[in-house]
Amino acid sequence: MDVLVNNLPILAPIFIIQLILIIVAIIDLIRIETTNGPKWLWVLIILFINILGPILYFVIGRKRY
Amino acid sequence: MNQWSTLFQKELIEMWRNFKWVWVPITFILLGVSEPVSSYYLPQIIDSLGGLPEGTVIEIPPPTASEVLIQGLSQYTTIGVLIIVLSTMAIIAGERKSGVAAMILVKPVSYFSFITAKWAGGFLLLWVSLLIGSIATWYYTGILFDWIPIDLFFQSYLLYGLWLTVVLTLTVFFSASLLTPGIAGFTSLAVVFVFTLVTGPLSNWLEWSPSQLTNYANELLLSSAIPDDTLPASLLTLACIIILLWLSVFIFRKKELAS
Amino acid sequence: MSLIQINHLKKSFRGTEVIKGIDFQLDKGKCIALLGPNGAGKTTTLRMLSGLMEPTDGTIIFTDAKKGEDIRELIGYLPQFPVFYEWMSGLEFLSYAGRLAGLGRKEAKDRSLELLKLVGILEAKNRRVAKYSGGMKQRLGIAQALIHRPQLIMLDEPVSALDPIGRREVLDMLEGLKKETTILFSTHILNDAEEICDEILFLHNGKIVESGSMAELRERHQQPKIDLFFTGKSGEYAEIFSNHKLTHSISVEGNRVSVFVTNIVLARQAFLRLIAEQNLPLERFEVSSMTLEDVFMKVVGK
Repeated sequence: MDVLVNNLPILAPIFIIQLILIIVAIIDLIRIETTNGPKWLWVLIILFINILGPILYFVIGRKRY
Repeated sequence: MNQWSTLFQKELIEMWRNFKWVWVPITFILLGVSEPVSSYYLPQIIDSLGGLPEGTVIEIPPPTASEVLIQGLSQYTTIGVLIIVLSTMAIIAGERKSGVAAMILVKPVSYFSFITAKWAGGFLLLWVSLLIGSIATWYYTGILFDWIPIDLFFQSYLLYGLWLTVVLTLTVFFSASLLTPGIAGFTSLAVVFVFTLVTGPLSNWLEWSPSQLTNYANELLLSSAIPDDTLPASLLTLACIIILLWLSVFIFRKKELAS
Repeated sequence: MSLIQINHLKKSFRGTEVIKGIDFQLDKGKCIALLGPNGAGKTTTLRMLSGLMEPTDGTIIFTDAKKGEDIRELIGYLPQFPVFYEWMSGLEFLSYAGRLAGLGRKEAKDRSLELLKLVGILEAKNRRVAKYSGGMKQRLGIAQALIHRPQLIMLDEPVSALDPIGRREVLDMLEGLKKETTILFSTHILNDAEEICDEILFLHNGKIVESGSMAELRERHQQPKIDLFFTGKSGEYAEIFSNHKLTHSISVEGNRVSVFVTNIVLARQAFLRLIAEQNLPLERFEVSSMTLEDVFMKVVGK
């Protein structure tokens, strides 16, 4: 834990942009009509799979057009 | 030109509305930065978990700043490539499959503009994302390890960008010439994969191959000198990009929009 | 005054000829229906005219087109199932289409608003197309076809997918558009064609089997007809009339036998006598002339 606290100035920006990524993915998920696969599953993936979850959603979860 | 900029603006707005302008740069940051961060903190984390058991002698020489930066940037040639291909594969095939391309191309729209504006949109997104991502990687390498001269970093950024542009253009090409986005994506990945694989063992032969550019960028970071074949390889790459783009327009024009 | 001239147009898909050499011309300011059963080749024909498909053979000539002019500037096209960028609003899509067709920014927006009003979806102008209903998309589709004031608009089955009210509204809209531009629209519904069109092209199995103005068609096919309705199966009785010397041709549908005759006065007497003599179970006896539907059935060879 000490490692985290001591290095907060360095690590904080990374956590913040991760958070932005998650928020943006959730906003998009709410606005979009349909996804590939059930929406609730994507909510779980975005929230609980670190970094990869939101990216997976944008790359394969979104239905274009 | 007027029409081209209308098409180009549409691409930019679309990428804004579907958040590509947010998630692609962020992904590139996270991909690159994770390397210096984990190399730096791994020993500390192991320590904080109680250290290695007594008696285990593992000599891990601390990596140099150049090695860390190279490791960070090389994420872009693996997962980065995957993201570029998957997010670009529908750029033309998807619009054609849905029928919206036919709605647009019954208007007096030049096929050349239609394809090149899309390509340019992807190009801008790629170079901006790569710039943000690699600068973040360079910065974290600097504060956690050592500072790499900015001109060396910038030269290697250009070389990485050039190779990824080949990947982008290849995906645009297959998206224009194949009917379904999935097949276009798969084919692009396969071609890139084979290209990278073949270039390794045959590197004596293929010194000018576009996929060598990232190797040259890495050499540049390690030795601080531009490798001999960088210039011809870059020129050949530019030629490949132009030819692929021209072929995309040519093949797309021959295809019937409705089936 | 001819607007477009089509000569010996052919289209094959993998060796199968779908359009088998058709010739026609469209006159300026007319509303023409491309009529035919499903699979007759209507959509293929329109796609070739719009430039979306390359003809296998034949020519399409716009009389007014200058040398080297992109014919797409002269036409507006609405596919059977119009698709849009769903993330755009209706107004954005129209302005985008207008800009692509060469209008200036302001001009494109003004024209878009004007058309949104014309097709009756002005109040939805800022809504994303993804939220539009089928009928609204059809209207937006018609608007985008008109955006650059084309000389010819081509609509592929513009009303087939609509409910009766939407159908009525779109037909009324087309009626209004006749003043502004030449309209070519495909349909498999006779009433629609009959209602708003000046001319008809009958397409069947990739060939134009009949064409002309409404009046011309009626005159050409004016053939007196006697409809006989019997109790039970009419098929058995049809034979009695089919061999008659006054009979030209005959068709049976349900309990109705339609007999096309060469002389209505003589046939009426003869048939009534025949029915009385043979004591046929007649329910109704009707003397009429051909409807467009009869013409349709006749030309498609049923």
